[in-house]
Amino acid sequence: MSAKNYEVAVIGGGIVGCSVAFYLAESGLDVILIEKNDIASGTSSRCDGNVSIVDKDPGFDSHMSWVSQELIEDLSKRLDRPFEYRKSGSILVCDNDDEMQAAVDWVKTQNEAGLKFNVLDRNDIKSESPFFADDIPGGLECETDSLINPYMFCYALVDKAESEYGLQVKTRAEVTNITKEGREFKIQTTNEDVRAQKIVNAAGVWAPFIGKMLDVDIPITPRKGHILVGSRQQPVMMRNVMEFGYLMNKFGRERIADKRTTEHGVALVLEPTESQNFLLGSSRQFVGYDPTIDIRVVETMARRALRFFPKMNDFKIIRAYTGFRPFTEDHLPIISEVKEVPGFYIAAGHEGDGISLATGTAKLMEEIINEKTETIIPKEPLSFDRFKKSEVYA
Amino acid sequence: MKDTIICRCEEITLGDLEEIAKKHNSSAREIKLLSRAGMGFCGGRTCRPAIDKILTNITKENPSDALPLKVAPPVRPISLTDLGGFGKDDE
Ligand SMILES: Cc1cc2nc3c(=O)[nH]c(=O)nc-3n(C[C@H](O)[C@H](O)[C@H](O)COP(=O)(O)OP(=O)(O)OC[C@H]3O[C@@H](n4cnc5c(N)ncnc54)[C@H](O)[C@@H]3O)c2cc1C
Repeated sequence: MSAKNYEVAVIGGGIVGCSVAFYLAESGLDVILIEKNDIASGTSSRCDGNVSIVDKDPGFDSHMSWVSQELIEDLSKRLDRPFEYRKSGSILVCDNDDEMQAAVDWVKTQNEAGLKFNVLDRNDIKSESPFFADDIPGGLECETDSLINPYMFCYALVDKAESEYGLQVKTRAEVTNITKEGREFKIQTTNEDVRAQKIVNAAGVWAPFIGKMLDVDIPITPRKGHILVGSRQQPVMMRNVMEFGYLMNKFGRERIADKRTTEHGVALVLEPTESQNFLLGSSRQFVGYDPTIDIRVVETMARRALRFFPKMNDFKIIRAYTGFRPFTEDHLPIISEVKEVPGFYIAAGHEGDGISLATGTAKLMEEIINEKTETIIPKEPLSFDRFKKSEVYA
Repeated sequence: MKDTIICRCEEITLGDLEEIAKKHNSSAREIKLLSRAGMGFCGGRTCRPAIDKILTNITKENPSDALPLKVAPPVRPISLTDLGGFGKDDE
């Protein structure tokens, strides 16, 4: 066992853990990042790479996304390794006139909040991609949205923090038990034990298992998603597109769609990647931690893609994969101390927004740990205590 | 040797793999993700054994650790229409 006692141990080398470790190390703390497998081997390499506001509720959600976008832009200049950062904006397309009406209202609300949204009409949509269906009534765009390659972003963060801020990284080290000895944690892993004064639990959908080691119940559940990788044939489009129905899905609102699409929680997402392939998503299901690819879901997704892109019928799908979104009841992450266990912190539960919100999350965590009085975003909506309250009043 | 193409789909040479490994002191998985070797159209069906062998040699990782990028379904490329065509039993 190494005799060294770290100031902070971050558990989980996904986009959240890597970002948290980065800002903590940069602030001068002595930090170790502990990861069960390899950097970015969990949800953060089984997802899309949208850093988006387009799909966030106006208010706290969109503000946190905006703050995170600014931080990513800053990092795109400071990190040494590129991470395929593309600030191209993103668009939503509507399936029917009802959605179009809702989209117009959505743009108005977002504009009132000072965000850069525009309505797109039928012709605008046509000029986005020659492959779009003729009957799409329109959509909207958010100008500030960007795309990144999430695993390359993780590598870039870790690389910089290791070489310049003294971050220690321990991979292939699964945390198996944690005990508190006085003011210090003893963290047992499959690759030597670690001692630290503070712990940040950034284990994504696995955060509840880490919590249990300290008798802390963390209400995060896996919400599975499928993604298809389409092969480059001709460029489909330049920026990310989602269907407006995605918003309805995400917040569990009423949406007009056929039974199978609803059952599999399928909504179109098409992300052009830097390698010129494209990613087609996605599904949303609560089916535990089973990563198996469900061909029925894949078919539903392909069919949904053809609704919006009928002219892509010959495009080839070369791979499929699944990931687990760390879901919380109110769709907000937990970025918080745990009062019952002083020195234990949680940064997890970002559901389908972890790529968008990782940097804002990490900056806030750094400020909480360094006990700063002013924080980059308000911390109350993200506190761990909020779940206890609902238990009492439910 | 260095110019030997290992992954034809993505046109990755042995030299490319060695260079990435050296530059970032990477794990096998990271080298694959960064180079995209084996991630192209054929899904690694042609080059996978070669890539895995080379990465094992370069990184000295033992083989069981070195292969986390699995062959993923669909095993062969398939068109969108074949997957989601409307001829199938709906609902
Ligand atoms: C299909 C899909 C599409 C998505 N698209 C987007 C998008 O476009 N934009 C967006 O913002 N978000 C998106 N998301 C959501 C985003 O991917 C997640 O919110 C984010 O990746 C979560 O990051 P994380 O670091 O919390 O978790 P993870 O990346 O899962 O990291 C947790 C890490 O903890 C490690 N770990 C677990 N247990 C232990 C242990 N005992 N000891 C040590 N380490 C451990 C794991 O190995 C893992 O590497 C998508 C998700 C899915 C599934």
